[in-house]
Amino acid sequence: MIATVNRCHLAALILLIFVSVSWDVFAGPKASRKTTAESSGAASSDSSMELSGEELWSNNCLRCHNIRPPTMYGNAQWDVIVHHMRVRANITGREQRAIVEFLKSSK
Amino acid sequence: MKKIRHYYLAAVIQSAVLAAASPVARAQDATTDGYVTRKEYEELKAQMLAMKKELEAIKKEKGAVPKQESAESQAVADLHKEVAPPVVEPEGPLLGTTKFYLGGWAEGMFEARNGRVSTFSASFNPIFLWELTPKLLFESRLEIEPSGGGTNVNLVYAQLSYLLNDYITLGVGEFFSPSNVFVERFEPQWINKLPDRPLAVYHGILPNISVGAEVRGGFPIGPTRANYAFYISNGPSLNAFDPRNAGTLDFNSYTDNNDDKAVGGRVGFLPIPGVEVGYGFETAKPGFQGTTFAHVRSLVQSVDLDITRDSDLLKGRINLYAQYAWSKVDHAVYDPDGSLGFGPLAFTSKRDGGYAEVAYRPTKMDMDFIRNLEMVFRWDHLSRDPSGLGDPEERRWTLGLDYWLSPSTVVKAAYEWDNPRGEPNRNALLLQAAMGF
Repeated sequence: MIATVNRCHLAALILLIFVSVSWDVFAGPKASRKTTAESSGAASSDSSMELSGEELWSNNCLRCHNIRPPTMYGNAQWDVIVHHMRVRANITGREQRAIVEFLKSSK
Repeated sequence: MKKIRHYYLAAVIQSAVLAAASPVARAQDATTDGYVTRKEYEELKAQMLAMKKELEAIKKEKGAVPKQESAESQAVADLHKEVAPPVVEPEGPLLGTTKFYLGGWAEGMFEARNGRVSTFSASFNPIFLWELTPKLLFESRLEIEPSGGGTNVNLVYAQLSYLLNDYITLGVGEFFSPSNVFVERFEPQWINKLPDRPLAVYHGILPNISVGAEVRGGFPIGPTRANYAFYISNGPSLNAFDPRNAGTLDFNSYTDNNDDKAVGGRVGFLPIPGVEVGYGFETAKPGFQGTTFAHVRSLVQSVDLDITRDSDLLKGRINLYAQYAWSKVDHAVYDPDGSLGFGPLAFTSKRDGGYAEVAYRPTKMDMDFIRNLEMVFRWDHLSRDPSGLGDPEERRWTLGLDYWLSPSTVVKAAYEWDNPRGEPNRNALLLQAAMGF
């Protein structure tokens, strides 16, 4: 049993190292990665404190599921849905407000 | 002075004569032939005076109505003030009168598994969200599915949460256990990329649902982010009377069996957007109060990894999800007097299991049909039941292909190689359609 657990931990560690090392290879050229941020006039920093509503929406929602277009719901519905997702995904109040603002302004 | 008086007297007399003569002159001018008699003049004068009086009477009558109405309105307003409290305009929406959203998902599935009868199944899972105020949210989900000759309706969760500030949320009720990342984030079938759920984290080692209170939130740390969720709940109960699952934890018992409360939580760290690593735990006394198992303690731990990345090189999006969990229940003697037919059986219960899943969707390809496809591969594992008398160790490999009809509507097909150690395989063909709304 202990040997099995150790093997699994070792495999997980190797996988983590592999992903870390190959990160830029998977992501492709850096210039193209900035497209979304630049098109929305967002800050170029990776800091979550400086990400735009669009980037926060994309980064947080896509991690679990496909994103739904802003036009799919009304403003009041987005208020409720993003409130729900704030609790579920542990995003901050600032991030919640930025995402809601982006969704409402993108219609 | 005397001379001045004479001038005044002459002026007054002259004015009186002119005043007396002028109506006569005007009356004379008003006739067709240039002259009217004194009698005609007097008749016209009388008619004019009568009309003048009539006009004044009408004016008075007309002017009295608004005054009367305004007096009545004032009386009603005064009465309203007496019986009704003053209306205070709220700063935000009134409690209980605000935003409601009905969402959820539905699915239909076909499963053909080796050694079992093939079957269709279906479920409808409505989610109710009420934002009572911008800080207060109630959410609940039902699971409705056909079963036997009827329909099962289960309350999956029901939680009231309050946003204390930007970084802290308080919650109470029945909620997904934060240490179980799969259940909390990927369990809805329009999100889960394969038709079935992974071993160990869904059924087995980790808690799915907790009844209690929690505190959770997220916060930035420089350019990185972290999140947390800690809770206190009724906790699991210890299976002690069935030889097959003796020493395992039952997380589906939502009412408590002792005064001890389970404490658990999870902390997550996001070094860069799209990458999260986490550690979760839950410790409890799962034994029934008053039994020899009352002081037995359990500890469940897990690690998880979540990576999402858009790749220009691979022309698509990659998701990697993994979670591994292990549990320990203190040394205990099951069926100590042999009355249950399998004891005495003494052991420290240990289990482990988890899964790793990789999905690739070519979102940057030109053809719509190709862009809507997603390939999924999953490995999952669950160790044997700790008593040695139950289920054997199980490993599965699953390969799936999804087609996305919309962002939240998917058709899935998968084949699962399922190999319980020492038993015939349980390989399965799984087909499913799911829609989130």
